Amino acid sequence: MLELKILTGQRAPSKPPTYEINGFEIAFDEMAGSLVPGGTLELKGSPQSFPHSLALLGPNEGYWDIERIDATYYSGTDDHYTIRLGAVTLDGESKLNLKYDRQPELLDV
Amino acid sequence: MRTWFAKVVDNKIEQAITSEIPTTTEIVESSEPSLTDKPPRRLVYAPMRTSASVSSITGGVRIKARIDSNDQCVVLMLDRHLLSGCSFWCDQRADAAMYSPLAATLFEQENLASVLIHEMNVTVKLGPSEPFVNDDTARRLGQAIRSHLVAELPVITEDYLAKMPSEDQIRDGLQEVIDNEINPGIANHSGTITLTAVKGNTAYIKMGGGCQGCAASGITLRQGVETSFRIAVPHLGALLDETDHTAGTNPFFTDLHSGMGA
Repeated sequence: MLELKILTGQRAPSKPPTYEINGFEIAFDEMAGSLVPGGTLELKGSPQSFPHSLALLGPNEGYWDIERIDATYYSGTDDHYTIRLGAVTLDGESKLNLKYDRQPELLDV
Repeated sequence: MRTWFAKVVDNKIEQAITSEIPTTTEIVESSEPSLTDKPPRRLVYAPMRTSASVSSITGGVRIKARIDSNDQCVVLMLDRHLLSGCSFWCDQRADAAMYSPLAATLFEQENLASVLIHEMNVTVKLGPSEPFVNDDTARRLGQAIRSHLVAELPVITEDYLAKMPSEDQIRDGLQEVIDNEINPGIANHSGTITLTAVKGNTAYIKMGGGCQGCAASGITLRQGVETSFRIAVPHLGALLDETDHTAGTNPFFTDLHSGMGA
């Protein structure tokens, strides 16, 4: 399962986003929060397939300024990891890569 | 629970139902481009952020380390730029002593295979005979870098910068290797390597054809391309792969047996 927590920046799309796995567009299973400038949107999707590619599709009309995304990936009952992504702008010609493996832990040294 | 495939099919059916179905056989010319005319979306990447945890290390220089046990490698990420406009790589203690006091300090700490200094990062690869890299190794290297910087010792020497070839010379040297050695060698796998940019002595490449998305592309890059590049252009610093491997449409290998991954 994939969970996204998205903080929107100045421009927000008018329609809910969809995502793409292995080239196929799918709607999210659950959506909560708000899709407005400065709002936080929470999305859940269950692709039920190994992703060779995974991406969040930009809005077909207008722009979506994303300030931050926390993407959490669940591969088992308890096994999960989170990737934090920074600012990016999406539009009708772009899609944001969401395929990330578990990152090695960082140590303060 | 519906599978993703069922959702895709449902989605397509819903689109078909909700779209207007012509009730006559009259053909209507539409000015709207059809969906098939729409170009594929461009895959973009957002910068990856580390956690916002506060370092417990004091001493004025914050350093985070990422350990890659498979590659016997430690990436040390600093809170400041070490080099701007150029990068430094060496695999010999003597070269480090001659051109980079910081790399020489690191070679004194461990038996190293190579040191790369690029922007805010130091990538240290341990020698094959060394025990597995661990947290203690990373801490020793981090402390050595911190002490070096706090003492305000130089990262590289003036001599290194003075001997640096121009970007055109580096580009020509690398392109000659690509044309005469690398691309003919990987043509059997329908692969190609393109030199996309040279900035300072940092080179950017893209892998195409059978190399794009290939599970062995990391091996090709590190053991083939990089080795040839460094022999031809000894002053080459960082070598960065800009390939979007997820967009590969005809990779030569789609999978490797466990333990063979780059």
